[in-house]
Amino acid sequence: MLKEMAPAVPIHLAGGLEDGTIGTDVNRILEVVEQVDEAALILSDIGSATMNAELALDLYEGDKDVQFYDGPIVESAFVAAVSAGNGMNLEQIMEQLKHET
Amino acid sequence: MLTIDGLKEALRNAQSEIEANKDTLTDLDRAIGDGDHGINMSRGFEAVASVLDDDYDSLGALSKKVGMTLMAKVGGAAGPLYGSAFVKAATAFGEAKEADFTLVKSALEEGAAAIKARGKSEVGQKTMVDVWEPFLNELNDADDYAAKLDQLVQDTEDMKATKGRASYFGDNSRGTIDPGAMSSAIVLKAIMKEVG
Repeated sequence: MLKEMAPAVPIHLAGGLEDGTIGTDVNRILEVVEQVDEAALILSDIGSATMNAELALDLYEGDKDVQFYDGPIVESAFVAAVSAGNGMNLEQIMEQLKHET
Repeated sequence: MLTIDGLKEALRNAQSEIEANKDTLTDLDRAIGDGDHGINMSRGFEAVASVLDDDYDSLGALSKKVGMTLMAKVGGAAGPLYGSAFVKAATAFGEAKEADFTLVKSALEEGAAAIKARGKSEVGQKTMVDVWEPFLNELNDADDYAAKLDQLVQDTEDMKATKGRASYFGDNSRGTIDPGAMSSAIVLKAIMKEVG
């Protein structure tokens, strides 16, 4: 649905463990964050994923603008993808998320 | 004194205790969480055990490796929590090859602070913080560590969870021991045993 609504917005999945099982691995999140071109928004579903996302941001040493938003993942992903597709920057998207979710 | 070999031994003992209590941890977590704590801790500490055969030139280096391994392998909330604890404790251990009671205590205090910060939790929320913080607050080297830890774990039974998945259960979270408190006691017991 996100790809259809905002085809130009890159969306990466960073969930799951190395062997594909359920959970999150901070290194996998970091790997994705390190591929970011300009700016990125990280979203998570449950508490452990949130902690790993925040940990990844603490460990991230790059200079790209990467932020985490703690909100409902489906609604937030929708708002963020559509807003990014409409040309909003990360700061504007964060504002938008705070209003809409 | 906690030596590098002593910390390795503690982690091996923690791993076998977690393995022995894997089903109990999972059952407790099934009652008030998502039922994966035993499985996650078992997977994490198995990975820890596999890095213990390597050589480390300081307690800090070993503790950091353990933390990074737990972050990567546990999968659930325990990963970033225990992982951050060992990584932060590593900064207190630093280059030391052995640690006396005071240094171990301050390393564990760093660990507890990391758990609180990462989990954004405080004492009384029915989490692993309810073991780490009160244990360290009153800790002195004449203590019966194991009995204190058992008591703190038991104390979480009547608490109402206000943090993490267990908080969705509200008042129904009372009557079940917090699985993170139990695994914390296993890990802390194993470490304190090696301090002597």
